[in-house]
Amino acid sequence: MIPQTFEYSAPATLAEALHLIDGDRKLLAGGMSLIPLMKLRLAQPGHLVDLGRVPGLNSIEAAGGKIRVGAMATHHDVETSPVVRASCPLLGETVGSIGDPQVRHRGTIGGSIAHADPAADYPAALLALEAQIRVVAAHRERMIAAEDFFMDAFTTPLEPDEIVVEVLAPIEDSKEGYRYEKVAHPASGFAVVGIAVRIKKSGGKIAMARIGVTGLGSHAFRARNAEALLEGGAGIDAAAAVVGEGIDANSDLYASAEYRLHLARVHAARALRTALSRAE
Amino acid sequence: MKVAGSYSLPAPPERAYELLQDPDVLAKCIPGCEGLDRVAEDEYAMRMKMGIASISGRFDGKVRISEKTPPVSFRMSVEGAGKIGFMKGDGVITLSAADSGSNVQFEGDVQVGGTIANVGQRLIETTAKMIIKRFFDCMSQRANE
Repeated sequence: MIPQTFEYSAPATLAEALHLIDGDRKLLAGGMSLIPLMKLRLAQPGHLVDLGRVPGLNSIEAAGGKIRVGAMATHHDVETSPVVRASCPLLGETVGSIGDPQVRHRGTIGGSIAHADPAADYPAALLALEAQIRVVAAHRERMIAAEDFFMDAFTTPLEPDEIVVEVLAPIEDSKEGYRYEKVAHPASGFAVVGIAVRIKKSGGKIAMARIGVTGLGSHAFRARNAEALLEGGAGIDAAAAVVGEGIDANSDLYASAEYRLHLARVHAARALRTALSRAE
Repeated sequence: MKVAGSYSLPAPPERAYELLQDPDVLAKCIPGCEGLDRVAEDEYAMRMKMGIASISGRFDGKVRISEKTPPVSFRMSVEGAGKIGFMKGDGVITLSAADSGSNVQFEGDVQVGGTIANVGQRLIETTAKMIIKRFFDCMSQRANE
Protein backbone atom coordinates (compact mmCIF):
# COMPACT_ATOMS: atom_id res chain seq x y z
CA MET A 1 0.00 0.00 0.00
CA ILE A 2 2.90 2.34 -0.65
CA PRO A 3 2.87 4.12 -4.00
CA GLN A 4 5.72 4.26 -6.44
CA THR A 5 7.77 7.43 -5.98
CA PHE A 6 6.45 10.42 -7.86
CA GLU A 7 7.07 14.12 -8.27
CA TYR A 8 4.52 16.44 -6.71
CA SER A 9 3.54 19.96 -7.70
CA ALA A 10 0.91 22.14 -6.09
CA PRO A 11 0.44 25.10 -8.43
CA ALA A 12 -1.03 28.26 -6.94
CA THR A 13 -2.82 29.38 -10.08
CA LEU A 14 -4.77 27.74 -12.89
CA ALA A 15 -2.32 29.13 -15.46
CA GLU A 16 0.53 27.43 -13.64
CA ALA A 17 -1.42 24.17 -13.46
CA LEU A 18 -2.14 24.32 -17.20
CA HIS A 19 1.53 24.89 -17.84
CA LEU A 20 2.48 21.88 -15.73
CA ILE A 21 0.26 19.19 -17.22
CA ASP A 22 1.45 17.00 -20.02
CA GLY A 23 2.47 13.45 -20.74
CA ASP A 24 3.14 11.33 -17.70
CA ARG A 25 1.66 13.95 -15.37
CA LYS A 26 -1.62 13.32 -13.72
CA LEU A 27 -4.02 15.81 -12.17
CA LEU A 28 -4.95 15.23 -8.55
CA ALA A 29 -8.33 16.54 -7.39
CA GLY A 30 -9.79 14.85 -4.29
CA GLY A 31 -7.82 11.68 -4.90
CA MET A 32 -10.71 9.37 -4.04
CA SER A 33 -10.05 7.18 -7.09
CA LEU A 34 -6.48 8.00 -7.99
CA ILE A 35 -4.80 7.62 -4.58
CA PRO A 36 -6.11 4.08 -3.89
CA LEU A 37 -4.99 3.04 -7.37
CA MET A 38 -1.56 4.51 -6.72
CA LYS A 39 -1.29 2.75 -3.38
CA LEU A 40 -2.03 -0.54 -5.12
CA ARG A 41 0.49 0.48 -7.77
CA LEU A 42 -2.13 0.02 -10.44
CA ALA A 43 -1.53 3.65 -11.31
CA GLN A 44 2.04 4.89 -11.31
CA PRO A 45 2.07 8.45 -12.55
CA GLY A 46 5.52 9.97 -12.55
CA HIS A 47 4.27 13.40 -11.54
CA LEU A 48 1.14 14.59 -9.74
CA VAL A 49 -0.22 18.08 -10.22
CA ASP A 50 -2.45 18.84 -7.24
CA LEU A 51 -5.30 21.25 -7.99
CA GLY A 52 -6.13 21.63 -4.30
CA ARG A 53 -4.40 24.98 -3.92
CA VAL A 54 -5.70 26.66 -7.04
CA PRO A 55 -8.01 29.39 -5.73
CA GLY A 56 -11.55 29.85 -7.00
CA LEU A 57 -12.04 26.37 -8.40
CA ASN A 58 -14.50 25.36 -5.70
CA SER A 59 -17.00 28.17 -5.90
CA ILE A 60 -20.70 27.46 -6.33
CA GLU A 61 -22.89 30.28 -7.64
CA ALA A 62 -26.08 30.93 -9.52
CA ALA A 63 -26.25 33.66 -12.14
CA GLY A 64 -27.80 34.27 -15.53
CA GLY A 65 -30.17 31.32 -15.31
CA LYS A 66 -27.35 28.89 -14.63
CA ILE A 67 -25.75 27.35 -11.63
CA ARG A 68 -21.97 27.08 -11.87
CA VAL A 69 -20.19 24.52 -9.75
CA GLY A 70 -16.40 24.75 -9.65
CA ALA A 71 -14.56 21.55 -10.48
CA MET A 72 -12.90 21.35 -7.06
CA ALA A 73 -16.16 21.71 -5.12
CA THR A 74 -16.39 18.61 -2.95
CA HIS A 75 -19.49 16.47 -2.87
CA HIS A 76 -20.06 17.82 0.64
CA ASP A 77 -19.80 21.43 -0.64
CA VAL A 78 -22.45 20.67 -3.26
CA GLU A 79 -24.67 18.71 -0.89
CA THR A 80 -24.76 21.48 1.70
CA SER A 81 -24.72 24.48 -0.63
CA PRO A 82 -27.77 26.74 -0.15
CA VAL A 83 -27.39 27.76 -3.81
CA VAL A 84 -27.66 24.15 -4.96
CA ARG A 85 -30.54 23.47 -2.62
CA ALA A 86 -32.46 26.47 -3.96
CA SER A 87 -31.55 26.29 -7.65
CA CYS A 88 -30.60 22.75 -8.50
CA PRO A 89 -32.00 20.32 -5.92
CA LEU A 90 -31.52 17.28 -8.18
CA LEU A 91 -27.77 17.82 -7.97
CA GLY A 92 -27.90 18.09 -4.17
CA GLU A 93 -29.99 14.96 -3.85
CA THR A 94 -27.62 13.03 -6.11
CA VAL A 95 -24.38 13.95 -4.36
CA GLY A 96 -25.86 13.08 -0.99
CA SER A 97 -25.82 9.45 -2.06
CA ILE A 98 -22.17 9.30 -3.16
CA GLY A 99 -19.91 7.01 -1.13
CA ASP A 100 -19.69 7.85 2.57
CA PRO A 101 -19.10 11.12 4.48
CA GLN A 102 -15.32 10.76 4.24
CA VAL A 103 -15.48 10.38 0.46
CA ARG A 104 -17.95 13.26 0.18
CA HIS A 105 -15.62 15.56 2.08
CA ARG A 106 -12.66 14.83 -0.21
CA GLY A 107 -14.09 13.82 -3.58
CA THR A 108 -14.84 16.56 -6.10
CA ILE A 109 -17.26 17.00 -8.97
CA GLY A 110 -14.44 17.64 -11.46
CA GLY A 111 -12.47 14.62 -10.33
CA SER A 112 -15.49 12.37 -10.46
CA ILE A 113 -16.54 13.32 -13.96
CA ALA A 114 -13.02 13.37 -15.40
CA HIS A 115 -12.50 9.85 -14.03
CA ALA A 116 -15.82 8.81 -15.67
CA ASP A 117 -16.48 5.67 -13.69
CA PRO A 118 -19.44 3.97 -15.41
CA ALA A 119 -21.16 3.60 -12.02
CA ALA A 120 -20.52 7.11 -10.67
CA ASP A 121 -23.59 9.07 -9.52
CA TYR A 122 -22.87 12.52 -10.93
CA PRO A 123 -23.17 11.59 -14.62
CA ALA A 124 -26.82 10.53 -14.27
CA ALA A 125 -27.75 13.90 -12.74
CA LEU A 126 -25.67 15.91 -15.22
CA LEU A 127 -27.37 14.14 -18.13
CA ALA A 128 -30.84 14.73 -16.71
CA LEU A 129 -29.90 18.38 -16.15
CA GLU A 130 -28.44 18.72 -19.66
CA ALA A 131 -25.40 20.22 -17.99
CA GLN A 132 -22.37 21.63 -19.76
CA ILE A 133 -18.79 21.04 -18.72
CA ARG A 134 -16.29 23.85 -19.16
CA VAL A 135 -12.81 22.68 -19.97
CA VAL A 136 -9.70 24.80 -20.42
CA ALA A 137 -6.23 24.29 -21.83
CA ALA A 138 -3.35 26.76 -21.96
CA HIS A 139 -4.61 28.68 -25.00
CA ARG A 140 -8.15 27.53 -25.53
CA GLU A 141 -11.32 26.53 -23.79
CA ARG A 142 -14.51 24.73 -24.71
CA MET A 143 -17.88 23.67 -23.40
CA ILE A 144 -18.80 20.03 -23.66
CA ALA A 145 -22.39 18.84 -23.24
CA ALA A 146 -22.74 16.13 -20.60
CA GLU A 147 -24.13 13.80 -23.23
CA ASP A 148 -20.93 14.11 -25.28
CA PHE A 149 -18.70 13.92 -22.23
CA PHE A 150 -19.41 10.41 -20.93
CA MET A 151 -18.28 8.50 -23.99
CA ASP A 152 -17.46 5.10 -22.55
CA ALA A 153 -16.15 3.52 -19.36
CA PHE A 154 -13.43 5.89 -18.08
CA THR A 155 -13.45 7.60 -21.44
CA THR A 156 -14.13 11.30 -21.99
CA PRO A 157 -13.23 13.71 -24.79
CA LEU A 158 -10.70 15.42 -22.48
CA GLU A 159 -7.32 16.01 -24.08
CA PRO A 160 -4.21 15.43 -21.95
CA ASP A 161 -3.58 19.18 -21.66
CA GLU A 162 -7.13 20.05 -20.60
CA ILE A 163 -8.56 20.67 -17.14
CA VAL A 164 -12.23 20.55 -16.18
CA VAL A 165 -12.89 23.88 -14.47
CA GLU A 166 -16.61 23.99 -13.89
CA VAL A 167 -19.97 22.40 -14.47
CA LEU A 168 -22.89 24.54 -15.60
CA ALA A 169 -26.46 23.44 -15.19
CA PRO A 170 -29.67 25.34 -15.84
CA ILE A 171 -31.43 26.58 -12.73
CA GLU A 172 -34.31 24.20 -12.20
CA ASP A 173 -37.79 25.63 -12.45
CA SER A 174 -39.25 25.52 -8.93
CA LYS A 175 -42.33 23.75 -10.33
CA GLU A 176 -40.18 21.00 -11.71
CA GLY A 177 -40.14 17.59 -10.05
CA TYR A 178 -36.89 15.72 -9.59
CA ARG A 179 -35.55 12.54 -8.08
CA TYR A 180 -32.36 10.50 -7.88
CA GLU A 181 -33.01 6.83 -7.14
CA LYS A 182 -30.04 4.62 -6.51
CA VAL A 183 -29.27 1.05 -5.64
CA ALA A 184 -25.90 1.34 -3.92
CA HIS A 185 -23.40 -1.48 -4.00
CA PRO A 186 -23.11 -2.53 -0.35
CA ALA A 187 -19.31 -2.54 -0.32
CA SER A 188 -18.22 0.20 -2.70
CA GLY A 189 -21.21 2.53 -2.45
CA PHE A 190 -21.13 2.91 -6.23
CA ALA A 191 -24.42 2.77 -8.10
CA VAL A 192 -25.43 -0.72 -9.17
CA VAL A 193 -27.94 1.41 -11.00
CA GLY A 194 -28.78 5.06 -10.50
CA ILE A 195 -31.62 6.99 -12.15
CA ALA A 196 -31.87 10.79 -12.16
CA VAL A 197 -35.16 12.27 -13.30
CA ARG A 198 -36.56 15.73 -14.01
CA ILE A 199 -40.18 16.28 -14.91
CA LYS A 200 -42.24 19.33 -15.85
CA LYS A 201 -46.01 19.20 -15.84
CA SER A 202 -48.41 21.22 -17.87
CA GLY A 203 -52.19 20.88 -17.66
CA GLY A 204 -51.93 17.61 -15.74
CA LYS A 205 -49.67 16.07 -18.39
CA ILE A 206 -45.94 15.52 -18.50
CA ALA A 207 -44.57 18.29 -20.71
CA MET A 208 -40.91 17.42 -20.27
CA ALA A 209 -39.04 14.42 -18.95
CA ARG A 210 -35.28 13.92 -18.62
CA ILE A 211 -33.88 10.61 -17.45
CA GLY A 212 -30.19 9.98 -16.80
CA VAL A 213 -29.11 6.42 -16.13
CA THR A 214 -25.82 5.33 -14.56
CA GLY A 215 -24.40 1.95 -13.59
CA LEU A 216 -26.36 0.04 -16.21
CA GLY A 217 -24.19 0.39 -19.30
CA SER A 218 -20.55 1.06 -20.09
CA HIS A 219 -21.26 4.76 -19.56
CA ALA A 220 -24.09 6.89 -18.23
CA PHE A 221 -26.73 7.70 -20.83
CA ARG A 222 -30.07 9.41 -21.31
CA ALA A 223 -33.07 7.14 -21.65
CA ARG A 224 -34.43 9.11 -24.58
CA ASN A 225 -36.89 6.41 -25.60
CA ALA A 226 -38.56 6.55 -22.18
CA GLU A 227 -38.49 10.37 -22.20
CA ALA A 228 -40.27 10.41 -25.56
CA LEU A 229 -42.94 8.00 -24.36
CA LEU A 230 -43.65 10.14 -21.29
CA GLU A 231 -43.81 13.33 -23.33
CA GLY A 232 -46.14 11.53 -25.73
CA GLY A 233 -48.58 10.78 -22.94
CA ALA A 234 -47.59 7.23 -21.98
CA GLY A 235 -47.80 6.09 -18.38
CA ILE A 236 -44.87 5.79 -16.02
CA ASP A 237 -44.79 2.01 -16.06
CA ALA A 238 -44.83 1.84 -19.85
CA ALA A 239 -42.00 4.37 -20.03
CA ALA A 240 -39.91 2.76 -17.30
CA ALA A 241 -40.23 -0.59 -19.08
CA VAL A 242 -38.15 0.65 -22.04
CA VAL A 243 -35.28 2.09 -19.99
CA GLY A 244 -32.08 0.37 -21.06
CA GLU A 245 -33.53 -1.05 -24.27
CA GLY A 246 -30.69 -1.74 -26.69
CA ILE A 247 -28.06 -1.30 -23.96
CA ASP A 248 -25.52 -4.00 -23.33
CA ALA A 249 -26.04 -4.13 -19.55
CA ASN A 250 -23.10 -4.51 -17.19
CA SER A 251 -22.67 -7.64 -15.19
CA ASP A 252 -20.46 -8.50 -12.24
CA LEU A 253 -20.45 -10.85 -9.26
CA TYR A 254 -23.01 -8.71 -7.46
CA ALA A 255 -25.55 -8.16 -10.21
CA SER A 256 -26.06 -9.96 -13.51
CA ALA A 257 -27.01 -8.00 -16.61
CA GLU A 258 -30.60 -9.24 -16.41
CA TYR A 259 -30.95 -8.28 -12.74
CA ARG A 260 -29.38 -4.87 -13.35
CA LEU A 261 -31.77 -4.14 -16.16
CA HIS A 262 -34.68 -5.14 -13.94
CA LEU A 263 -33.39 -2.91 -11.13
CA ALA A 264 -33.01 -0.01 -13.55
CA ARG A 265 -36.62 -0.28 -14.70
CA VAL A 266 -38.10 -0.70 -11.24
CA HIS A 267 -36.11 2.25 -9.95
CA ALA A 268 -36.85 4.36 -13.01
CA ALA A 269 -40.56 3.91 -12.25
CA ARG A 270 -39.98 4.87 -8.60
CA ALA A 271 -37.91 7.91 -9.55
CA LEU A 272 -40.56 9.04 -12.03
CA ARG A 273 -43.35 8.65 -9.48
CA THR A 274 -41.50 10.68 -6.87
CA ALA A 275 -40.54 13.35 -9.39
CA LEU A 276 -44.11 13.58 -10.61
CA SER A 277 -45.44 13.95 -7.08
CA ARG A 278 -42.96 16.78 -6.51
CA ALA A 279 -43.86 18.60 -9.72
CA GLU A 280 -46.50 21.30 -9.62
CA MET B 1 -15.97 -14.94 -17.74
CA LYS B 2 -17.82 -15.55 -20.99
CA VAL B 3 -17.80 -12.90 -23.64
CA ALA B 4 -19.80 -12.96 -26.83
CA GLY B 5 -20.92 -10.47 -29.37
CA SER B 6 -21.37 -9.70 -32.99
CA TYR B 7 -20.12 -6.91 -35.19
CA SER B 8 -20.45 -6.10 -38.82
CA LEU B 9 -17.50 -5.30 -41.00
CA PRO B 10 -17.87 -3.50 -44.33
CA ALA B 11 -15.99 -6.17 -46.30
CA PRO B 12 -16.91 -9.56 -47.69
CA PRO B 13 -16.06 -12.55 -45.44
CA GLU B 14 -12.96 -13.50 -47.49
CA ARG B 15 -11.44 -10.05 -46.98
CA ALA B 16 -12.59 -9.81 -43.33
CA TYR B 17 -11.04 -13.19 -42.64
CA GLU B 18 -7.72 -11.95 -43.98
CA LEU B 19 -7.90 -8.64 -42.14
CA LEU B 20 -8.61 -10.29 -38.81
CA GLN B 21 -5.44 -12.35 -39.14
CA ASP B 22 -3.15 -9.79 -40.72
CA PRO B 23 -0.39 -9.07 -38.19
CA ASP B 24 -0.02 -5.45 -39.35
CA VAL B 25 -3.72 -4.83 -38.91
CA LEU B 26 -3.82 -6.68 -35.59
CA ALA B 27 -0.92 -4.60 -34.31
CA LYS B 28 -2.86 -1.44 -35.12
CA CYS B 29 -6.22 -2.64 -33.88
CA ILE B 30 -5.46 -4.48 -30.64
CA PRO B 31 -5.91 -1.59 -28.18
CA GLY B 32 -2.60 -0.62 -26.60
CA CYS B 33 -0.52 -2.92 -28.81
CA GLU B 34 3.01 -1.57 -29.11
CA GLY B 35 4.50 -4.33 -31.17
CA LEU B 36 3.68 -7.68 -32.66
CA ASP B 37 6.53 -9.97 -33.74
CA ARG B 38 6.06 -13.20 -35.55
CA VAL B 39 7.59 -16.08 -33.57
CA ALA B 40 6.11 -19.01 -35.51
CA GLU B 41 3.43 -19.72 -38.07
CA ASP B 42 0.30 -17.96 -36.77
CA GLU B 43 1.96 -17.10 -33.49
CA TYR B 44 3.11 -13.64 -32.42
CA ALA B 45 4.80 -12.13 -29.40
CA MET B 46 3.07 -8.95 -28.34
CA ARG B 47 3.91 -5.95 -26.19
CA MET B 48 0.98 -4.01 -24.88
CA LYS B 49 0.45 -0.92 -22.85
CA MET B 50 -3.01 -0.70 -21.38
CA GLY B 51 -4.29 2.54 -20.02
CA ILE B 52 -7.79 2.74 -18.63
CA ALA B 53 -8.80 5.42 -16.19
CA SER B 54 -5.64 6.12 -14.20
CA ILE B 55 -4.57 2.52 -14.39
CA SER B 56 -1.80 1.76 -16.76
CA GLY B 57 0.46 -1.17 -17.14
CA ARG B 58 2.64 -2.96 -19.60
CA PHE B 59 1.93 -6.49 -20.62
CA ASP B 60 4.03 -9.00 -22.49
CA GLY B 61 2.07 -11.66 -24.18
CA LYS B 62 1.26 -13.55 -27.28
CA VAL B 63 -1.40 -13.95 -29.91
CA ARG B 64 -2.08 -17.29 -31.51
CA ILE B 65 -4.38 -18.17 -34.34
CA SER B 66 -5.56 -21.74 -34.78
CA GLU B 67 -8.38 -23.95 -36.10
CA LYS B 68 -8.37 -22.02 -39.34
CA THR B 69 -11.30 -22.69 -41.66
CA PRO B 70 -11.16 -19.91 -44.26
CA PRO B 71 -13.24 -17.90 -44.73
CA VAL B 72 -15.66 -19.12 -42.11
CA SER B 73 -14.01 -19.32 -38.73
CA PHE B 74 -10.83 -19.43 -36.67
CA ARG B 75 -9.79 -19.40 -33.06
CA MET B 76 -7.80 -16.56 -31.59
CA SER B 77 -5.99 -16.73 -28.27
CA VAL B 78 -4.51 -13.68 -26.63
CA GLU B 79 -2.62 -13.68 -23.37
CA GLY B 80 -0.54 -11.21 -21.49
CA ALA B 81 1.07 -10.74 -18.12
CA GLY B 82 2.55 -7.73 -16.42
CA LYS B 83 3.16 -6.24 -12.99
CA ILE B 84 -0.46 -5.39 -12.35
CA GLY B 85 -1.96 -8.72 -13.33
CA PHE B 86 -2.51 -11.09 -16.16
CA MET B 87 -5.21 -11.71 -18.75
CA LYS B 88 -6.01 -14.55 -21.04
CA GLY B 89 -8.62 -14.60 -23.73
CA ASP B 90 -9.61 -17.32 -26.07
CA GLY B 91 -12.44 -17.32 -28.53
CA VAL B 92 -13.84 -18.52 -31.81
CA ILE B 93 -14.56 -15.96 -34.47
CA THR B 94 -17.16 -16.89 -37.07
CA LEU B 95 -17.80 -14.93 -40.24
CA SER B 96 -20.83 -14.90 -42.46
CA ALA B 97 -21.89 -12.83 -45.44
CA ALA B 98 -24.26 -9.97 -44.78
CA ASP B 99 -25.76 -7.13 -46.83
CA SER B 100 -23.28 -4.67 -45.41
CA GLY B 101 -20.29 -6.96 -45.97
CA SER B 102 -19.87 -9.53 -43.28
CA ASN B 103 -21.12 -10.35 -39.88
CA VAL B 104 -18.49 -11.33 -37.36
CA GLN B 105 -19.52 -13.27 -34.32
CA PHE B 106 -17.26 -14.13 -31.48
CA GLU B 107 -17.71 -16.28 -28.49
CA GLY B 108 -15.05 -16.88 -25.93
CA ASP B 109 -13.75 -16.82 -22.46
CA VAL B 110 -11.68 -14.13 -20.74
CA GLN B 111 -9.75 -14.60 -17.53
CA VAL B 112 -8.18 -11.78 -15.61
CA GLY B 113 -6.07 -12.28 -12.50
CA GLY B 114 -3.67 -10.54 -10.16
CA THR B 115 -4.08 -7.20 -8.38
CA ILE B 116 -6.16 -5.75 -11.16
CA ALA B 117 -8.76 -8.50 -10.84
CA ASN B 118 -8.82 -8.36 -7.04
CA VAL B 119 -9.69 -4.70 -6.90
CA GLY B 120 -11.31 -4.17 -10.27
CA GLN B 121 -13.84 -6.99 -10.32
CA ARG B 122 -16.74 -4.55 -10.55
CA LEU B 123 -15.42 -3.26 -13.85
CA ILE B 124 -13.66 -6.09 -15.61
CA GLU B 125 -16.54 -7.17 -17.79
CA THR B 126 -17.44 -3.62 -18.80
CA THR B 127 -13.82 -2.93 -19.64
CA ALA B 128 -13.36 -6.19 -21.56
CA LYS B 129 -16.40 -5.37 -23.69
CA MET B 130 -15.08 -1.88 -24.33
CA ILE B 131 -11.70 -3.19 -25.46
CA ILE B 132 -13.30 -5.76 -27.78
CA LYS B 133 -15.54 -3.05 -29.21
CA ARG B 134 -12.52 -0.80 -29.87
CA PHE B 135 -10.82 -3.68 -31.64
CA PHE B 136 -13.77 -4.21 -33.98
CA ASP B 137 -14.34 -0.49 -34.54
CA CYS B 138 -10.73 -0.27 -35.69
CA MET B 139 -11.16 -3.35 -37.87
CA SER B 140 -14.19 -1.78 -39.44
CA GLN B 141 -12.15 1.31 -40.33
CA ARG B 142 -9.41 -0.81 -41.82
CA ALA B 143 -11.96 -2.70 -43.90
CA ASN B 144 -13.08 0.60 -45.35
CA GLU B 145 -9.59 1.52 -46.48
